[in-house]
Amino acid sequence: MTGAALRRANLESLVEAQGACRATPPLLLSADPYFDLAGEEFGRRLLLTTDTTGAEYCLRPDFTLPIVASYIEDGVGEPAAFSYMGPIFRQRENGPAEFDQAGIELLAQPDGDVALDQVLTFARAALSIFGVAPDIRLGGVGLFEALLVQADMPDAWRPRIRNRFGHTEAMNRLLTRLEAAPDAPRDKQPSRKALVEDITEQMVASGLSLSESRSPEEIADRYLEQQALDAAQVPSATLKLLRDYLAISGPVLQALTRIEALAARHKLMLGVPIRTIRRHLNGLGEARVTFDAGFSPRLDYYTGIVFEMTGPNGEVLASGGQYDRLLERLGATAPIAASGCSVWVDRLEAEVAP
Amino acid sequence: MSGITLAVPSKGRLEELTREWFAANGLVITRPGGARSYLGAIEGLPDVTVRFFPASEIARELIRGTIDFGVTGRDLIHETSETGPASVSIAKPLGFGNADVVVAVPDAWIDVTHMHDLADVASDFRSRHGRWLRIATKYITITRQHFARAGIAEYRTVESLGATEAAPASGVADIVVDITSTGSTLAANGLRVLEDGVMLHSEACLIVSRTAGWSSRRKARLDAVLARLGCAAGF
Repeated sequence: MTGAALRRANLESLVEAQGACRATPPLLLSADPYFDLAGEEFGRRLLLTTDTTGAEYCLRPDFTLPIVASYIEDGVGEPAAFSYMGPIFRQRENGPAEFDQAGIELLAQPDGDVALDQVLTFARAALSIFGVAPDIRLGGVGLFEALLVQADMPDAWRPRIRNRFGHTEAMNRLLTRLEAAPDAPRDKQPSRKALVEDITEQMVASGLSLSESRSPEEIADRYLEQQALDAAQVPSATLKLLRDYLAISGPVLQALTRIEALAARHKLMLGVPIRTIRRHLNGLGEARVTFDAGFSPRLDYYTGIVFEMTGPNGEVLASGGQYDRLLERLGATAPIAASGCSVWVDRLEAEVAP
Repeated sequence: MSGITLAVPSKGRLEELTREWFAANGLVITRPGGARSYLGAIEGLPDVTVRFFPASEIARELIRGTIDFGVTGRDLIHETSETGPASVSIAKPLGFGNADVVVAVPDAWIDVTHMHDLADVASDFRSRHGRWLRIATKYITITRQHFARAGIAEYRTVESLGATEAAPASGVADIVVDITSTGSTLAANGLRVLEDGVMLHSEACLIVSRTAGWSSRRKARLDAVLARLGCAAGF
């Protein structure tokens, strides 16, 4: 066997050796769940086709969603592990493309930490087959959420800030806006009742349904909340804390030490999530690990720890983490522990010098 | 082959204004077969073939490189393909066909004045209404790019090829992304443009394809024609 075929075979064995069910979801999948889960931003990457009734289908753009969806269909609860390797299809800048992806999904495992360790070990083993000693970038979704819950600010701001986590520019714009919040005294607000009447009148006048979309009550409530928010400012110390925290990025031990110092200064209890991150470092041995406080996928079902592994030329070769809210998004009735990763086989093959 | 192809909008006000602009710059575009013919010429420039196309096809063919230069709207270049703007070069904005691609919400949404308000509304729309915020538009590419920049991912687009401004009232969508020159059609339908809701200023432009396979002879012909029009290819 040549080097390339041997590496493929080794990767295949690694995928098989995970003590997991080998999953082979169909190539042609209903597109709606992808739009529902990930919105238009991911939707534009799909290769779409339409059946005679107009229903949209896509070529399999990833493995996680069909694996998790069929797990939910079979009745959740039992711990399960799936591994996969095969083609996925996505639009990219210069035309549609087929890529090979390999990965694992660990669902409803009794210990989420152990599961994440297995995921990290799998990803590193896959990379080492191709001779890549990666740079590992960790992000702490759980850590940021713990900080956000404790930081001193009006409650209504927390979801707004959380929603922008992982989108540096949007977060930056929001923080800048909050920093510039005017101190001017507010005009007296109309009553909720008067507002609802006004809005109802406007909606009726322009022929809008009062129930199909946003209702007059919802609009009035958010308007009043918005006015209250403008008045209820986020303390400047908290904004500074968020800025300082999000700017932390560097070798993991230094970064965590800086976060601990920041937490001590602001009297925040971040011990648990920080210790969790430290525990995973034991398993990562000699690898170059950085922690980037602002790093998170732009999908709100991620929880806990997320990671990316990059090779010498900076391309992401493996990514994954914990996503305990994913199963709920897909219809499960309660959050279920989930972690996994996917490995870009084509990019790995390109890492091997010919 | 050293001939070059110019594409001109095939009908309506845009055709008229384009031919007037060329004439004002000393080049007379002829359409021997009248409005039903799709082939024309420029008087005195036998190696320039003129083709009459709908404006959206001109954008597509400029990006693909099957026509060399032409007149179409900046919006159509951005909408046709994400790589559209990089595949062409704008030789000259022509000063007509001005319109903006904008985000507009029902006037009654008094709590939504900026894109960041829309981000908040979109983020919990699904938990409140059991579906995503719906945006009616014919500008799907532009909408996706602009909303991604604004950090908004939680929405669905509904393709709307006409009378987009009626979509909220008919219940097809919650808000719209539409093109408007004065905003009066939107206002008449109870819609209001967000204060930072202008996604693109568009106007008719003379546009050169970068992908058209430019031999030095053809490029020299193009440069000569553009020079007479008081502009340059920019590459």
